[in-house]
Amino acid sequence: MSGDPTHAHGAPLLVPSAAKLSLPGAPTWRALGDDPRWYQKAVFYELLPRGFADSNADGIGDLRGIVGKLDYLGWLGIDCIWLLPYYPSPLRDGGYDVADYYSVAPECGSVDDLALLIEEAHRRGMRVISDLVINHTSDEHPWFKESRASRDNPKADWYVWSDDDQAMSDIRIIFCDTESSNWTWDNARQQFYWHRFFHHQPDLNYENPEVQEAMLQVVRFWLGLGLDGFRLDAAAYLYQREGTSGENLPDTHAFLQRMRKEIDCDFPNRMLLAEVNQWPADVVDYFGQGDECHMCFHFPLMPRMFMAVRREQRFPITEILAHTPDVPDGAQWGIFLRNHDELTLEMVTDEERDYMYAEYASDPRMRKNLGIRRRLAPLVENNRGIAELLHALLLSLPGSPVLYYGDELLMGDNIYLGDRDGVRTPMQWTPDRNGGFSQADFAQLFLPPSMDPVYGFQAVNVEAGLRDPSSFLHWLQRMLAIRRHYQVFATGGIEILPADNPSVLAYVRIPEGESGETPVLCVNNLSRFAQAAEIGLGRFEGCVPIELVGRTQFPVVGSGGYFLTLGPHGFYWLELEST
Amino acid sequence: MTAPTETSLADLARTYLERQVWFHRAIAGKPAGELSLVAADVLREGEPGLARLLLARGAQRFQLLTGWREATAVGGVLKGRESALLGSASLRGNANHGVLVYDALADDDLLTRLLALVTEGRESAERVRRVATLVSHASLVFDERLFMKCYRVLEEGERPEVEMMFRLEAAGFEALLQPIARWRGYGCDLAVVREFLPSALEGRLLALTSLRDLLAHASGTDEQGAIGYVGGEIDPDVETASAGGDFSAEMRRLGVMTAGLHAAMSAAFGAQAAEPASVARIVTGAGSPRLAALGEQIGAAARGSLGVSIRVHGDYHLRRVMRTERGWLVAGFGDDPLYASAKPDPSLAPRVGSPIEDLADMCFSLHRVAAEALAQRPTSEAEVAAGLAAAWERRNREAFLAGYRESDGVGSLLPESPETVEVLLTAFEAVRADRYEATPAAR
Repeated sequence: MSGDPTHAHGAPLLVPSAAKLSLPGAPTWRALGDDPRWYQKAVFYELLPRGFADSNADGIGDLRGIVGKLDYLGWLGIDCIWLLPYYPSPLRDGGYDVADYYSVAPECGSVDDLALLIEEAHRRGMRVISDLVINHTSDEHPWFKESRASRDNPKADWYVWSDDDQAMSDIRIIFCDTESSNWTWDNARQQFYWHRFFHHQPDLNYENPEVQEAMLQVVRFWLGLGLDGFRLDAAAYLYQREGTSGENLPDTHAFLQRMRKEIDCDFPNRMLLAEVNQWPADVVDYFGQGDECHMCFHFPLMPRMFMAVRREQRFPITEILAHTPDVPDGAQWGIFLRNHDELTLEMVTDEERDYMYAEYASDPRMRKNLGIRRRLAPLVENNRGIAELLHALLLSLPGSPVLYYGDELLMGDNIYLGDRDGVRTPMQWTPDRNGGFSQADFAQLFLPPSMDPVYGFQAVNVEAGLRDPSSFLHWLQRMLAIRRHYQVFATGGIEILPADNPSVLAYVRIPEGESGETPVLCVNNLSRFAQAAEIGLGRFEGCVPIELVGRTQFPVVGSGGYFLTLGPHGFYWLELEST
Repeated sequence: MTAPTETSLADLARTYLERQVWFHRAIAGKPAGELSLVAADVLREGEPGLARLLLARGAQRFQLLTGWREATAVGGVLKGRESALLGSASLRGNANHGVLVYDALADDDLLTRLLALVTEGRESAERVRRVATLVSHASLVFDERLFMKCYRVLEEGERPEVEMMFRLEAAGFEALLQPIARWRGYGCDLAVVREFLPSALEGRLLALTSLRDLLAHASGTDEQGAIGYVGGEIDPDVETASAGGDFSAEMRRLGVMTAGLHAAMSAAFGAQAAEPASVARIVTGAGSPRLAALGEQIGAAARGSLGVSIRVHGDYHLRRVMRTERGWLVAGFGDDPLYASAKPDPSLAPRVGSPIEDLADMCFSLHRVAAEALAQRPTSEAEVAAGLAAAWERRNREAFLAGYRESDGVGSLLPESPETVEVLLTAFEAVRADRYEATPAAR
C-alpha cells in the first residue's frame, strides 16, 4: 500500500478536469475530529466509482478520479462519501454481485488507490464508507464455485442448498419480474441453491459459523485499511427458515450485533448503515438497543416527499413521520431523495404498497414512474422551486441526508439505457468532451454521458454551476453550510405543528436536552401557488423567529396562531430565539 | 364557607346571561320566562373558587361555571377578558368579605382544575386555549392534546353526539377522536373531553385544495392574453385524473371509513329492515321538483328491498370528517344545532335512517365544495371550470362510493339492487339540495 500518488496505480495521478474547476475561495479543509457519533451530523454523498471521474482515460471512472474531486466535495459541504461497489464483479447487478471481497475491480483501481482516497478524504475532514454485500455473492465468486463443485467439499455448506425447491415456499420473491423462484437448479451439484435476489446471486449460508467468520474477516480487512464504515446491502435477508417470511429473523439481528461488537472493540468511530427496505416500525429493530446498526435508511419517506408535492398536501409526509418510532440514543436515520436504485413496490410492506398503489395507480403521470427510476430533476420536470423545496425538506427532517452524485447539479437521466443504468451516467464536470468525466474516446466510455438538450453536460455541469452564482449548486452549498451551523437539524427532535392550510407543512426541530441551542421552525409550502397559513406556535409564545438564510427578524410569536405567507414551493427555516 | 352566597351568585348570573349573545340566540323563539337558579354546586372553595350554577328558563336549562377571587387578583387573571366579570359578591357567613365573581371559562387556572375534575384526576394540563365559542358550548384545548366541550345549553338525557362517541368507541370503532371523559349531572351531559389532534384538518379544506389545483392546472392565457383555459379541447375527465392534487384516493379511503362507521353504528344501536313507508316519507316529504322527477323511480324502488335502517350520522359532510395521521376520522356528530339556526333541525342529528342518507350528504358536500371553488375563479373561466369541477365531483363521488361498497359488511346495510341504491342516493341528495336552498342558515 502506498500513499504516494505517483506510484500506486502505475501511472501519475491524472485528474483531467480538476484544474478547470475553479472553486470559490481557498479549499476549506475541515478537521476530521474524533466524534464517535459523527454520522448523526454528517451529510453523505453517494457516488458510483465507475461514473464519477476517470483518472487514467480508460473510459471508466476510478478511485483516483475521486481523489481529484475531493476538494469539490469538501467545498460542497460533504462529510462522508459512500462508494457504490468497487469489488471485482461480473457486473450483472451493478457490482452487487461480488466475485472477490478482498480487492478492487482493476478498472476502478487498486486497494492502494482506496487507501489513498481514504487518506486524502480524511485530510480534508471527510470520511469514506463503502457498500458491503453480505447476503450473497456472485455465482462467479470462488466460494460458490467451490461450493457447487460437490456436496462434500470444504465450502459445501457455505451456501443454502436443497433437494427440494418447494422448501420455504412462503418466502416472497423480491425480483418477481425476472425470477420465478427463490431456488435455482445447479447441474453440477444436482441440487437447488437459494437466492433472494437474482439467480446469479446465491445467498450465503449464515447458519455456517465459517461463513460468519469469513464475512467478519472481510469487514476487518477494509476497516483495517481505514474505511469509516459500511452500507450493508440487503441486511434483512441473512437468515431464512421454513415457516417464516425469511426477513428480519432474530438470528439476522444477532449476527449484526456480533459484527457491531467486533467493530466497536477494534475499530472506534466506524459505523454501519443498514439497507432494510421495510416499514420503519420493523427497521428500528436494526438499531437494536443501540448495539446493532448505527444508521438505517428510511425508505418510505422518499416517495412520500414526492407525493406530498404532487398532491399539494402534507399528509403523505406527516403520516409516515407519525409511523416512525423513536430511535435509540446514538442511532440515526439516513434519508434521501433519490439514489442509484429504483423504488419498486415489491420492496415495501403490504400496507405501504397498498397506499402507494392507491395513490400512484390512479394517476397516469405518477404511473409512468411506478418504480421510480428517474433522477431528481426529471422527476420534478426540472422545476427549480420543487427541487429546492425537496432539498429543504431533506435537510431539515430528522436524519442524515444522503445526496446522490449529480443531483447537486440537477443532472438528468437517460431512460433509454435500460435497467438502472439510466441514473448512472457519468458525472458532468465541464462542457468539454465527455463532460470532463474522461479523456477516453467517447466510444470507450462505460456509459455515454447525457447529451440531452436540457440536462446534457453542455449545459449542466459543475463548472457552469460554479460560475453561475445563482445556480442550484451554489444554493445547495449554502443550505448545507447553514445546516452545518445548526446541530438541531442533525440531532434534534421533531414536532409537527398544526397549520390550517393542508398545503403547508410546519414543524419545529427541538434541541436535545440542555444543549443550549434554539429550536428551528421549518415551514414548507407544498403547493405551486402562494399560500397563507395560521400555524399553532402557542408554546413558543414570546419567541422571535429569525430566518436562517438572511437573518431577517420576523414578528414575535404571540398567544394565538402565527400567520405566515409563502411563495409557490417556498419554505422558511426560522430560528426561534427566546426573548 | 368561603364561597359567595347562592342569592348573590343567582343575581349575578342572571344579569350576566342577559348580556351574552349566545344566551339570546338560545332563547330566541322560546316562550318568555324567568331565569331561575336551580342549583349552585361549589366545586372548589378558597382562592380561586369555582362553582357550577344550573339555571332554568322554562324548559331550558343552562350551565354557568363561575369563579371568584379577591378583587386585587382578578385584574391580572381577566386581563383582556374583562367582559367575563359578573360582579362582586360577599362570602357566605362573612358578609364583610367581598370577592369578585367571573365566568370561570376566562380563568386558565380554573380551567386546568376543571379538567382534573371532569376527568376525575386522570388528566392534567399546563396550558389551555379557548377555541370557537358557539351557542351551546365553549370549546377548550388543553396542551394541544385534549379537547373539552363545556356545555352551556343543556339537554335532558344523553346528548346524541356524546352518546355516539362513547357507544362507537365501545363497539370498537377507532376512526374517531377518542373520548376520554364525560361529566354528567342533573340527568344531563355537562361536559365531555376527547383527544385533540393538532394537525388534523377538516375534509373540506383538503377537497378545496385538490380542486384548486385542478382548476389552476388547466388555467393559462389564450392568444389574446386573457386568462382562461389553454388547449381549447380539454377532456375534463382526463384532466381530473391526471391532476396533481387528485383527491380520489382520499375519497376512497373516506368511503372505507364511512362503511366502518355504519357497521359500528349498526353494532352499537342495532338495525332493522327499512320500511318502504319511512323511506318514501323522507324522500317525498319535501315535495320538490327535483324529487317529483324521481317519483316513479322511487316508487319502483320502494317495492323492492330497501336495505336497513340504522342510527345514521345525520349531518355527514366534509366538515364533519378530519384527515389526520391516523387516516380519516369522524370529527363530530350533529353537535351544536343551535349554532346554525335558532330552530334546531332534528333531521341534522344522529337518528334512525338509511345509511344512504349519510352517503348522499357526503356526495352533496362534494358538490358544495365544487361550488365554493368555482366562486373563487374569474367568470371568464366559468364554462370550462364548471366542466372540470363537475368531472372532479363525479370522480370523487365514484371513489367515495366505491370505497364504501368494497368494504366488508356493507352488503347487509344497503339495498340488494344497485339501481335502488342509486335511486335513493339521488333522491337523498335532492332532499339535501332542497334543504340547503331552503335554509340560508345552513350555508
